[in-house]
Amino acid sequence: MNERFNKINSGLLADRKVTQLMVITAGTFAIFSLVSRDIFFSSANFTSMAYQIPEIAILSIAVMLSMLTGGIDLSIVAISNAAALVAAWIMTTKMGESETLSYSWIIIACVVGTLVGLAAGAVNSIIIARLDVTPILATLATGTLFNGIAIGITDGVSVSGLPENFMRVGNGTFLGIPTPFVLMVVIALAVGYFINRTTLGLKVFLVGTNRKAAQYSVMGDRKVIAWIYLISALLSSLAGLIIASRTSAASPDFGSSYILLAIVVVVLGGINPNGGFGTITGVILATAVLQMVSSGFNALRFSQFFYLAAQGAVLVFVMILNVVLERRRVSRSISKSLRS
Amino acid sequence: MSTLLTAEYGVENIVKSFGGAKALSGVSLSVKSGEVHCIAGENGSGKSTLIKIMSGVHAPDTGLIRLGDKSFTKLSPREAVHEGVQVIFQDFSLLPNLSVAENIAIPTYISENSRFFSKSKTKEIAANALDLIGVDIDINASVTDISIASKQLIAIARATNQGVKMLFMDEPTTALTRKEIKHLFEVVEQLKERGVATIFVSHKIDEIQEICNTITILRNGEVVADGIMRDFKRDSISEAMTGLNVSETRIAPPLKKASTKVIEVRNLITKPTFLDISFSIAPGEILGITGLLGSGRTELAEAIFGQYPIDSGEVIVEGESIRLNSSPAALKAGIGYVPPDRLTQGLFLEQSILRNLVAVGVDQYQSRGKRLSKKRLAEAGEKWIKDLRIKTKNSLNPVTSLSGGNQQRVVLAKWLAMNPKLMILNGPTVGVDIGSKREILEIIRDRAQEGMGFLVVSDDIPELIQICHRVLVIKNGQISKEFNESELDEEVLYKELS
Amino acid sequence: MDFKKLLRRNETALIIAIVLLSVIIGAKSPEFYSLANLFDIFRSSFVQLLFALGVLVVIISGGIDVSFPVVGIFSGYSAVVLMKHFDWNPGNVSLPIALAIVIGVILGALNSIAIASFGIPTLIATLGTSGIFRGIMLTFIGSSFISDIPAALDKFATADLLKIQPAEGTLARLHVLIIPVVIITILVSLMLNRTMFGRSVYALGGGVEATRRLGISIKRTQAKVYMFVGGISGLAGILYVSLQRKANPYDLYGSELDIIAAVVLGGASIMGGYGTVFGTVLGVLLISLIKGNLILLGVSGSWQRAAIGALLLIGITVQAINESKKAKNRRVSTSDEVAG
Repeated sequence: MNERFNKINSGLLADRKVTQLMVITAGTFAIFSLVSRDIFFSSANFTSMAYQIPEIAILSIAVMLSMLTGGIDLSIVAISNAAALVAAWIMTTKMGESETLSYSWIIIACVVGTLVGLAAGAVNSIIIARLDVTPILATLATGTLFNGIAIGITDGVSVSGLPENFMRVGNGTFLGIPTPFVLMVVIALAVGYFINRTTLGLKVFLVGTNRKAAQYSVMGDRKVIAWIYLISALLSSLAGLIIASRTSAASPDFGSSYILLAIVVVVLGGINPNGGFGTITGVILATAVLQMVSSGFNALRFSQFFYLAAQGAVLVFVMILNVVLERRRVSRSISKSLRS
Repeated sequence: MSTLLTAEYGVENIVKSFGGAKALSGVSLSVKSGEVHCIAGENGSGKSTLIKIMSGVHAPDTGLIRLGDKSFTKLSPREAVHEGVQVIFQDFSLLPNLSVAENIAIPTYISENSRFFSKSKTKEIAANALDLIGVDIDINASVTDISIASKQLIAIARATNQGVKMLFMDEPTTALTRKEIKHLFEVVEQLKERGVATIFVSHKIDEIQEICNTITILRNGEVVADGIMRDFKRDSISEAMTGLNVSETRIAPPLKKASTKVIEVRNLITKPTFLDISFSIAPGEILGITGLLGSGRTELAEAIFGQYPIDSGEVIVEGESIRLNSSPAALKAGIGYVPPDRLTQGLFLEQSILRNLVAVGVDQYQSRGKRLSKKRLAEAGEKWIKDLRIKTKNSLNPVTSLSGGNQQRVVLAKWLAMNPKLMILNGPTVGVDIGSKREILEIIRDRAQEGMGFLVVSDDIPELIQICHRVLVIKNGQISKEFNESELDEEVLYKELS
Repeated sequence: MDFKKLLRRNETALIIAIVLLSVIIGAKSPEFYSLANLFDIFRSSFVQLLFALGVLVVIISGGIDVSFPVVGIFSGYSAVVLMKHFDWNPGNVSLPIALAIVIGVILGALNSIAIASFGIPTLIATLGTSGIFRGIMLTFIGSSFISDIPAALDKFATADLLKIQPAEGTLARLHVLIIPVVIITILVSLMLNRTMFGRSVYALGGGVEATRRLGISIKRTQAKVYMFVGGISGLAGILYVSLQRKANPYDLYGSELDIIAAVVLGGASIMGGYGTVFGTVLGVLLISLIKGNLILLGVSGSWQRAAIGALLLIGITVQAINESKKAKNRRVSTSDEVAG
C-alpha cells in the first residue's frame, strides 16, 4: 500500500515540471484571449497557430534529443534548409512548366532531400561521437558549413514555385485537422516511444546523466550519441520539408531565428541542458506557449523584435528560476535533516 | 613569533549535511602553532569534509571556524588563503595548463594581494619553495608531464611556502615511497619549528604515531576520542576508528582445488605504466592487488577491462584469448568491473535506483523488436534490492537518496546481474560505513563460493587480508611480490608497499 | 614544455597557411601583392581583431560568448543615436568611443550576472541575452539605418596614417587605427600574461575546483571576463560604425562564427585554459585573407561562409585529434586521483 503510494507520488513529482507548464500554457492562453478577444481568440488564429506550431515543435524535439545526451545540435536549421533545398530543386527541375508533379517524383524528391539531411547528420555523428569534438562547436561549425554550401550552390537565391500537390501537405487538412499538426503528433508519439520504451532510449538518459559511468557500464555511449545526431538530422529534414510545403519555397537563409527559439522551447519545456532529464510533453507544451506569445504579440501589434527580446528573456528567466529553485531545494533538505 | 606560538586554530561544533546525509554532527577540535595534530578516521568518517570546511571550500550549516584570533561562521577559500590556511588535497588540485612554477607561486601572489604577475618572480618563488623542502623538479615543466610523486611534492611546496600558518595534509603519503615519506616527515619537522600548525590526516597508524603530537579520531561524523598522542596505543586508535574490537577476522572461504583458470593474464605491457605483468585466477579465488597511488594498480584493472590501453600481452578467459583494448569484448567474455569512484564513474546520480541497477545489461530487458519490457525491468530491480539488501522504499527514488554503502551495492548489483566469471573490484568499500563494508565483503565471499573469480584492487590492507586468498604487490608497474594465504600479514604487506 | 611546442607548431602552421595562401593568390592575380591590398587587409581586420581578443579571453576562461556582435552593434548604434538625439557634435572621436565602451561594459555586466551569479551555462546565457539585446535595440532604440553619423566619426573613417602612391596602381592608405589596435593587442597580451587577472583566467579554464582552492574567486573572475568582452565589443562596434560611415542596427548579427573560428584556428582550446594573443592575430589575418580574396582565387563570393565553416571544422577536428593523441601518449592515468 505504502509502496504504491510512493510510486504514485514520485511519478507525480517527476511530472511536476509538466504540471507547471500546463498551468503556464493555460495562463498564457487566458491572458491573450482576454487582452485580444477578437484577434487572438478567433478560429482563424487557432488555425494559423496549428500550422505554425509543428515545424518549431519538430525542430525543438531534435534539439531536445541532443540535449538529453548532454550535447546540443546547433545545425538543425542548416540541415532542415539543405533537405528542403534538395527536394525543392528536384521538384522544380522535374515539373518544368507544369504546376503539379507526379506523386512518385514528389516522394523521390522528399526521400533524396531527407537522405542529404541524414548525410549531414552523419557528419555530426562522426565528429562528435567518434572524434570527441564538443557538440556546441562541432555543430556550430557544421551548421555554418552546410549553410555555406547551400549558399554557394544557390548563390543565396531561394527556390520557389513548388508543385501544387506538394503544397497540399503543408496547407491541407487531414480529417479536419491541419496536416502538419497531424504529422507533428505522429512524430512526437514516435520519439516518445523511442525514448521511453526502447533500450536505446533508456541509454540516452543514462549517457546524458553521466557519460563516464556509461563508459564503465559498456553500453556503447558513442553509438548512442551517434544515433541521436542522426535522428536529430532526420527530424530537422522532415521539418524542412514541411516548411517548404507550407511556404512553397526553400531557401538557405530560412529560419535562422529558429535556433534560439528551439533552445528557448526546450529549456522552457524542462529539459536539463546538462543532459539526462526531460519529457516530450514538456517540449510540445512549451512550443504551444511560445507560439501563443508570438501570435498574441502579433495580435497586439508588437514588433517581431520585441518577440525576440521576449524569447531571450524567457530563456534567461527560466534558467535563473531553475538555479534559484535548486538552491532552495538544497537548503531546505539541509534544514530538514537538521531538524530530524 | 610569540603571537604565532600562542595562536590556536580549530573548529567548534561544526554541523554539515549534504542533501539529507549528515557528514559532520557537532565536531570540535583545536591545534596550536608548532604542533602536529592528527585527524584519524576511516573513509567516510568526515575527515575530508572537515578539511573542506576549514579551508573554505564548503560552508558549515552551523558552527564556528577559529583561525588565530579571528572567528568565522562562513569562510571563502580566498579568506582562508589570506589567513594563512593551506591544504594539500589528496588530488593535489594542480592546474594542468599552467607550469610547475605557476602552480607553486600563485597562492603567494594571492596572499600578497598583488595585481601583477612576473615570470622571473614566479620562478624565484617556485625555486625557493622547492628549495625549502629540498626537492629538485624542473619548474618550467608542464604539470601534465610529471609523475604523481612529483605532483605531490609540488603540492607540498606550494602549501608550505611562506605565509602558511595552518597546513592540512590530506593523506599525503599515499603516492610516496618509504624514502619519500621520510623526507616528507623532515619537512613537517621543519614546519613545526617555523611555528606552523599542521593537521595530518591519515588512517595509517604507524605514520600517525611517528609524526603527530595530538590526535582527534572521527567516526561517522563525530569525535569519538581525542587527546595527546602518547596516551593512545595502536589498538585503541584502530578500535576508536572502526568502532570494532579489531575483529578483522579472515572471511575468505576455503579455496577448492581447480584445474581450470577463470582468467590468465600473460606478459601484459603498456609502457611506461606496467611492464610484463602475468598472473591467473582460479574459479572461486579472490586475488588482491595493491600498490601505492600511481603504481599502476588502477591502470592494470582498467586495462584488463579494456579501459586503459595495452601495448602487448594476452588476456585469456576460460581458455579463450580475448580481444584487447575493448570493453565490449571483456564484457562478452564475462569480465565485470566496479570502478574506484562510485560518484563519478559508477553511478548515474540523479537517475532512479532501478535505472542504475539495469544500466549494464540494458539490452537484456528488451522483448520483441527493441521494445523495453518495463515488467522485466521492475522484476530485476526488485530481485537485486532484495538480494543485496539495498535499503530503499521505492526503486524509483533517485540513487542519491541512498547512503554510501547502499550506493556501492547498487554498483555491485549492476555487475552481478551480468553474472560475470571474473569480477574486478577497484576499491570496493571506499567511503562506506563499517557495517556495509562487512556486508559487501560477505557478498564477495558468497559469490566466490559459487565459483566467481575476483580481482580486488585496494589500498586498504586489512581489507585485503580479510578477504583475499592471495595478494600481489605492484611497484613501478611490476609485480614486486606475491603473498600466499599463509603469508598475509599487515606489517609485512605495508613494508613491501613502501 | 610539450604543450608550448604544440602551440608553436600551431602558430607555425598558421604562418605557413598564410604564406601559402598568399603565394597561391598572388600567382593567380599579381595585383594581390600591392601595398594597397595589404593595407586593405589590415583595415578589414581591425574590428575583427578587437572582437577576437574579447572572445579569446572568454574561451581561455572555459566559456563561450555568442552575444558579442550584438553587444558591439548595440553599443555602436546606441552611441550614435544618443549623440544625434542630444545633438552632440564633438571635434574628435573620444566621446562616442567612451560612450560605446560604457554601454558595452553595462551589457557585459548583464551577461556577468547571468553567468557568474546564477551559473547559467555560458552558451545558453549569451544566446538568451543576445536575443534580449537585439530585441531591445530594434524595438526601443531604433530600427532604421543612420547614414549621417556624427561628423567626427565620419571623418575618422578616412583618417590615414600613411598614404603611399606607388608608381602605378592604386593609392595605398594605412588607417590611423593601426596604432591603437596594435597597442590594445599588446595590452591584452600583457593582461593575460602579466597580471593576476590574466593568470586567473587561464587557471579558471584549467579547472574550476582547483582554481577555487587556490583562493581565486571564480565569480569575480568570470564577472570581469564578461565585462571585459562587453567593453572591447563596444569599442569594436563603434569603430565598425565609423569605418562603415553609417550605423545599421542589422549589421554584425550572425558574424560571431567568423570571430570564434579565428580564435579557435589561432590555437585557443575550446575546452578552456589554452590560447595566445599571437595565435589569435594570425587566425584573424587568415580569415580576413580568405574572406577578402576568395574572388581573386576564382571562387565566387557566395562560398565565403562555406569556406569559414570548413576552416573552423578542420581547426576543431585537428585540435580534438591532437588532444586524444596527447592523452594516449601521456598514459599516466589520473583515475587514481580520487578525492576522499
